[in-house]
Amino acid sequence: MAGGISRLYRGETTVNFYGRRNIGFIFSALLLIVTVGSLFSQGLNLGIDFKGGVAFEVPVSGSMSEAKAKEILTTNKIKTDNVKIQTLTSGSTQRVRIQLGDIPVATRTTIQEALAKEAKATVNDVSVSTVSSTWGRNITTKAIKALLIFFLIVSLFIAWRFEWRMALSAIVAMVHDVGISVGVYSVFKLEVTPATVVAFLTILGFSLYDTIVVFDKVHDNNERFSGSKVSYGDIVNVSMNQVLMRSLNTSIAALMPVLSLLVLGSGVFGAIALREFALALLVGLATGAYSSIYIASPLLGILKERSDQYRPMRGHLSIGADMSHLMHTGAPVGRRAAARAATEESQGSVSAPLAVETLLSHPPRPRKKSRR
Amino acid sequence: MIRRLVVSLVAIVLLAGGMFTANLVAGNHPSLGLDLQGGASVTMTPVGEVDPAALSVAVDIIRQRVDSLGVAEPEIIRQGNTIVVNLPGVKDQQQALDTIGRTGAVEMRPVLKVAPNPESTTTTSTIAGATTTTLKGSSTTLAPPAGGVGSSRTAAVTTTTVPTATSPTDPATGLPEGQTILPGRKDGLVYLLGPAEATGEVFSNDSSAQVDAGSWVVVAKLRSGAAGADLWNKLATKCYAGGADCPSKAIAIILDGEVISAPTVQTPTFDNGSVQISGSFSQTEAKDLARVLQFGAVPVKFDTPTVQTVSASLGEDSLRAAVLSGLIGVLLVLLFLMFYYRLLAIVVVGGLGVSGLLLWSVISWLSKTNGLALTLSGAAGIIVSIGVTVDSYVVFFEKLKDDVQQGRTLRNSAARGFERAWRTILAADTVSLIGAIVLWWLTVGSVRGFAFFLGLSTMADMVVSYFFTRPAVLLLARTKLFNKGRVLGVARSTTSEAVA
Repeated sequence: MAGGISRLYRGETTVNFYGRRNIGFIFSALLLIVTVGSLFSQGLNLGIDFKGGVAFEVPVSGSMSEAKAKEILTTNKIKTDNVKIQTLTSGSTQRVRIQLGDIPVATRTTIQEALAKEAKATVNDVSVSTVSSTWGRNITTKAIKALLIFFLIVSLFIAWRFEWRMALSAIVAMVHDVGISVGVYSVFKLEVTPATVVAFLTILGFSLYDTIVVFDKVHDNNERFSGSKVSYGDIVNVSMNQVLMRSLNTSIAALMPVLSLLVLGSGVFGAIALREFALALLVGLATGAYSSIYIASPLLGILKERSDQYRPMRGHLSIGADMSHLMHTGAPVGRRAAARAATEESQGSVSAPLAVETLLSHPPRPRKKSRR
Repeated sequence: MIRRLVVSLVAIVLLAGGMFTANLVAGNHPSLGLDLQGGASVTMTPVGEVDPAALSVAVDIIRQRVDSLGVAEPEIIRQGNTIVVNLPGVKDQQQALDTIGRTGAVEMRPVLKVAPNPESTTTTSTIAGATTTTLKGSSTTLAPPAGGVGSSRTAAVTTTTVPTATSPTDPATGLPEGQTILPGRKDGLVYLLGPAEATGEVFSNDSSAQVDAGSWVVVAKLRSGAAGADLWNKLATKCYAGGADCPSKAIAIILDGEVISAPTVQTPTFDNGSVQISGSFSQTEAKDLARVLQFGAVPVKFDTPTVQTVSASLGEDSLRAAVLSGLIGVLLVLLFLMFYYRLLAIVVVGGLGVSGLLLWSVISWLSKTNGLALTLSGAAGIIVSIGVTVDSYVVFFEKLKDDVQQGRTLRNSAARGFERAWRTILAADTVSLIGAIVLWWLTVGSVRGFAFFLGLSTMADMVVSYFFTRPAVLLLARTKLFNKGRVLGVARSTTSEAVA
């Protein structure tokens, strides 16, 4: 009767996420290995804001203009995506300031001469100086310190609000997300700008937010199932299926604006500056949504199954119709049935329609007649 | 119940609308960052030979000064030996100079009371045993006319005459207006201080540390005129008298919220334009204090800075592209939600509208007051945050849907659904808020700017969820329209199908 989409719509899917956890783990492990390998072999392509570089200043005379400056750079085979070209005005004199990353001395001289020629000025009128990074080591150190403290406080918060295993899983998932996002930057040699760092931080926040929402459901179900002997794997599975629609919706809602920035903003309208920022966000949001389902939750399951309370039920998973029974009634199919389910002998034993009483955790209050 | 919901709904809409109109009337609008709008570029050339380390300390201090709230995102670059400070959105050159050259970081306040700091000892322990109750620079004396420092009148080096009072009452509250409690930088004391009566500008820029009668003293020259010597003398006279508003006879010199020194005034007026501060200074302490009086805290002396206006590095096109594609993105999100949640999506539209107005108002107001500037990544970040904000609605609506499917009435489900969703939203938002606060507190530059916007949008999310979404959905759930058929995209019939 119900197709896949319609079941998804009603939150009645019975996907065995927990049982297939190794797929996610192996996939992520591969990606992380690639990341580490790439970081060691080619590192990150840091932009001018991190490394500093060279600044030219040319008086605006002759046919000098920002556009001309850009042309000169292009003819000297310099990518202009992340070059800053600005006009400085002081009274009636104008100068064009060009900031770009480190270039060989020969190129520097060539550009200086080309700029002077364009401005019909002498080479000495074109000033060249080295510029420090705007970012600075100090900012990086502070940011890293702040991140570590943030991890610590968030772990404590999650441990207090939920439990320490959730804190651990959430942090691992978060590190995983940033790792993969950084990996994408390293593998494709994309230039890292301050905007990228901000994008990574956004990803951290989003990933954590997503994980907390899933864990909140697990926490709820944990209480709901506390009376019956249900394995933690089951609880994780049930919770994931219940929040699946929400996770999908949220991810779609979060990805749409980013995709729009990427496709329309940088593609159609040609704002190149948006491209890398949007790309970092896109990758990060996708991994964030993926990791809360495939990394954080299974990891929690593994940790939790080893705890005293759940060790006896370890390895028992209700799948298919059994899971749906569990989801609706809050109780496993019965010990024998569960045992059979575990050994995959049961077929259709619970396909009988469920009574309305079992569908609800408690029956709805009858409507009062006095009110409309 | 209904009444409370209506009140909450009306109140939040009025608040958002009111704030928006107020900003509109006041002419506040979000100012744009260096990349989008350009601003002023100030070049500061140091005088004489400069130690690179001192220059980078200067960069940090200038950053702090320019960007007190951490949201202005100025660019501060060392270009060769000069420091270039690019201030976003500043068109007026004098304004740019004022921002940079502000020595307001140093201020003078009369000392009302002194007490040992209960939570000290972790302060920079350059001084062994931070528990000493003597003040460092404990006496101020009048130095002779400029030049003859060596022959200055002997300064009575008195240890503190300030009563060591018990810890003052609650620092946060209960203080008369203008009074404040600040910690000492190294002496492990806390000071109860009267209102600030002068800034570092009373001194001209040539304070120095000198040896006088075998001990280190600091000599500072006063600027002449109303903003300099007159102001200082007024304060000195008052403190020398030791009245109710300066019982300790000491003046505290404060840098960035810390008392650097609190010397006791030894003479009612300083007529010859210079002030000598003596006490049990070590050489470094004396030099530090001299430097503070000289530049605020910047360890490098600069020539008069030059100002230029600087054009945007990205320009209007990029902004237009970002805004346009962002709006289309939001529209897509709304269409998707409409398709999925049908009529309930109007609550999302309303909620986004309200939080949009709130954010716009706060950003405009901060643009005016704190130099906040929206960069391209900031603008893009806000667009992205919409996706995250929508999540609160999704969490709520999914829980509501669950309950309706289980056969509850819509009215009942809405209340229950919100209760459960609120706990989830609260937990997730708290984590985001922790992140925002920690990052804002401990970082600088664009990371700080990011943290600020994260915190802002998270708070807007919580406020709107509770005061707008909750009453809106609860009220709508009572209407006839919403209880008819499948207008909500909530399939109520499933239960009966499953039972059949």
